[in-house]
Amino acid sequence: MSQAADATHAHAPTSTGIDHKKLIMWLFLASDCMFFGTLISTHLLYRKLYPTGFTDAEGHQQFIQKLFNIELTSFSTFILLMSSFLMALAVSAMHKGQLKSFRRNVLGVIFFGLIFLGCQVYEFTHFYHQGLTIQNSVLGSTFYVLTGTHGTHVAIGILWLVLLYFYSFTGKLTGHMAGLDVEIAGLYWHFVDIVWIVIFTVVYLVEYLGPSGFWGTGLPLAK
Amino acid sequence: MSHDSHHAPVADKMELAPERSDLGLFRPDRTRGLFDWLTTVDHKKLGIMYGAFAMLFFLVGGVEALAIRTQLARPDNDFVTARMYNQLFTMHGTTMIFLGVMPLSAAFFNFLVPLQIGARDVAFPRLNAFSLWTFVAGALVLNGSWLFEFAHLAGWFDNFAWHKALVYTDFAPANGWFSYAPLSGTFGQANAALQAPRFTGVGTDFWIIGIQILGIASLAASFNFICTIVNMRAKGMTMMRLPVFTWMTLVTSILIILAFPAITVALIELMFDRQFGANFFNPSAGGQPVLWQHLFWIFGHPEVYILVLPAMGIVSEILPTFTGKALFGYPIIVFSGAVIGFLGFAVWSHHMFTTGLGPIPTAAFSLLTMAIAVPTGVKIFNWLGTIWGGRIRFTPPMVLALGFIWMFMCGGFSGVMHSAAPADAQQQDSYFVIAHFHYVLLGGVLLGLMAGLYFWFPKIFGRMPNAGIAYLATGMVILGFNLAFGPMHYLGLAGQPRRTHTYHAGNGWETWNYVATIGAFILGLGVFLAFVNLVYTAFKGVKCASDPWNGRTLEWSLPSPVPEYNFARSPIIATRDVFFEHKHGVHRLAYENDGGEAGVHMPSQSWFPLLAGFGFLIIGFGMPMMAMGVPHAGWVVIAGLGVMFMGIWLWALEGPGGYMLKTPSDPHGAAAQAKAESSAY
Repeated sequence: MSQAADATHAHAPTSTGIDHKKLIMWLFLASDCMFFGTLISTHLLYRKLYPTGFTDAEGHQQFIQKLFNIELTSFSTFILLMSSFLMALAVSAMHKGQLKSFRRNVLGVIFFGLIFLGCQVYEFTHFYHQGLTIQNSVLGSTFYVLTGTHGTHVAIGILWLVLLYFYSFTGKLTGHMAGLDVEIAGLYWHFVDIVWIVIFTVVYLVEYLGPSGFWGTGLPLAK
Repeated sequence: MSHDSHHAPVADKMELAPERSDLGLFRPDRTRGLFDWLTTVDHKKLGIMYGAFAMLFFLVGGVEALAIRTQLARPDNDFVTARMYNQLFTMHGTTMIFLGVMPLSAAFFNFLVPLQIGARDVAFPRLNAFSLWTFVAGALVLNGSWLFEFAHLAGWFDNFAWHKALVYTDFAPANGWFSYAPLSGTFGQANAALQAPRFTGVGTDFWIIGIQILGIASLAASFNFICTIVNMRAKGMTMMRLPVFTWMTLVTSILIILAFPAITVALIELMFDRQFGANFFNPSAGGQPVLWQHLFWIFGHPEVYILVLPAMGIVSEILPTFTGKALFGYPIIVFSGAVIGFLGFAVWSHHMFTTGLGPIPTAAFSLLTMAIAVPTGVKIFNWLGTIWGGRIRFTPPMVLALGFIWMFMCGGFSGVMHSAAPADAQQQDSYFVIAHFHYVLLGGVLLGLMAGLYFWFPKIFGRMPNAGIAYLATGMVILGFNLAFGPMHYLGLAGQPRRTHTYHAGNGWETWNYVATIGAFILGLGVFLAFVNLVYTAFKGVKCASDPWNGRTLEWSLPSPVPEYNFARSPIIATRDVFFEHKHGVHRLAYENDGGEAGVHMPSQSWFPLLAGFGFLIIGFGMPMMAMGVPHAGWVVIAGLGVMFMGIWLWALEGPGGYMLKTPSDPHGAAAQAKAESSAY
């Protein structure tokens, strides 16, 4: 399909000059902000209410910092940040019509996204064996549902990028609309990344603030 | 590419070879009748289907209401059991709000917004079809719970092992439309199967997944409408020239996309509590039931404005039409609507004054609640200003719109009474609250929506509803409504509690309960009569001119029924109410381009939005089955997810498609002729 036909066919100029697809993605992200805002609020409210953590299967009071492996989470956070960098490169490549560069970078994003998910799976299994379950405490419920929902977002993003990657071999991912389609996937990916930065800060890092944790009764930083 | 041949404009789709999608499949564009309705992406047909489903569910919710009133007609009545009564009032509220008012508003959004802004369709026609079918799936899930309840009452489940495991057997939702935790949640410790004991039966699981699915439908529709209004306005249609109804659609859609995530998360948390033994609202494990109230009302209060703002938009279109005056204070009306939407997010805790929030939040929420009366009052005064000095023509929509102002104000007055926390503490959970919100939602929203139905029916179907029956129905609705809900103010202040299946004689409540029941039946008959009149009109009514009311907005410039391509020539908007100025203004403003266009781009139909909606239907029935312990029900949920993803995936891959339609060179030939015949009104 030629560019001219592309323009006259389905894409009349919009009132704002912003393409419909991009606008609706921004609207979705606005809605998703409220979604994660509600989940994060739930976690923080309960964290303030029950600062001591949870009771494990043996009846011992446990502190969440003892579970956290902040080095591992920092690593996976860094990986997710770098995946955003690769995503930006993929978007730029597609805008320039460099299909091969696009594929290389998108594979990188998918690979980094999978590393992040792998870390999360490891973390969940590890915490579970340490005694934090979704049933045994409010902390378990809020932690797993919040970070799990974020993980689901990452997984959907990976699925989307895998489909885009294979779609790029059909020869249909060309022209102005292709750049836009990849850019929209990029918007989603960056958003999910930014949400993780917030979660990493308020769920993980603040536990290490101050001599006994942000909530006042945690353990000191030295493990 | 396959649809390159579709670039030459044609007068009829049938001139083209059958269109193949990018998947190589034939698109369902040659279909007629049922298949056409199932695969359509035309905003007008989708709007009509939204309206038809909404009217159906209005009647279902109405029957539930009449069962409630029959039970309460006499003290110590046993028309229904207490358990059935709980299910009735829960499903009545849920049905009326999510399956009656919201889809009827969505029907108007769908039909009118593209016409009022001079657009071909909404921004995403297939997403629009997806919203409709997902809504239908959610509605069927919620009401499907009744089938299980009836089967249970008939004893059909008695031999199933999983049934014996259930202690509580409310198969239809029974927690009230807000499903307060912990009643809707769990208590005690979860067992090895990750299930904690629950207060209520599987009806709550139907409610959770049903509302979740309806929320997805509303969100998808709202993204679409915001995008349409912001991005698809005709040349010259600036934001401050938008018809007020379109403005209120925009505000409502923004409220939906920002408020629904709160209920989505609350429902996910409640679902985890019930299905996987989590502790979000489980008090015995430290969960805080009040958190549910906060999350619910952060959604629930904006929801009130989601219900009422479209009706306000409708009234703002009807009053100028039948007074022959421009809307008084257009910018202030628009601004007030936006302020109501904004403040709607800051008043949720007034539903929770009696939970003991402490003096500071209580005072703050009291003040903000009182503040919201200001923009509402501004709107009322602007409507009065519109009527003032106008040449009022009394027609069924005008009478209903005037009824809206009057009845909605009564609801507003009792609303301001609730905003004072000490007074609210007395009124909480009494019939006074029932009286208040029925004056707002029935006297306000229902009258507004009925006014809209009578106003736009001639445009939708090209046929005029019978005015005599319309007046009779309107009179019955207003009389019956006041008889039913007026006395409830007194009953509430006299202490009758809500959500209680009966009351004893001797409290002085007998007379007014009896009167309320009589009023409810008059109201029910009135609504039924109005709907019968409208449905009859749709098929057999008297044909009427394309602009029977001397309308002001662009939809009246089109033939009735509106052709599938909407505007043969794209409109140019030089002023607010440009069509009215064109007809009556000093300069007779032109409002459309002088032809010479290549034709109108028409989108192609698709099966896949329906398929995705069907996936939600499977999920919606699978989840409660899982909660009931039906073997292998988890696989049904996974299959439903698969169908849903498959629908969306194929929809993405089939490509938007479409073809160019040649429009008639003289689109107004027929319309001009029809205009010469003067209208019945």
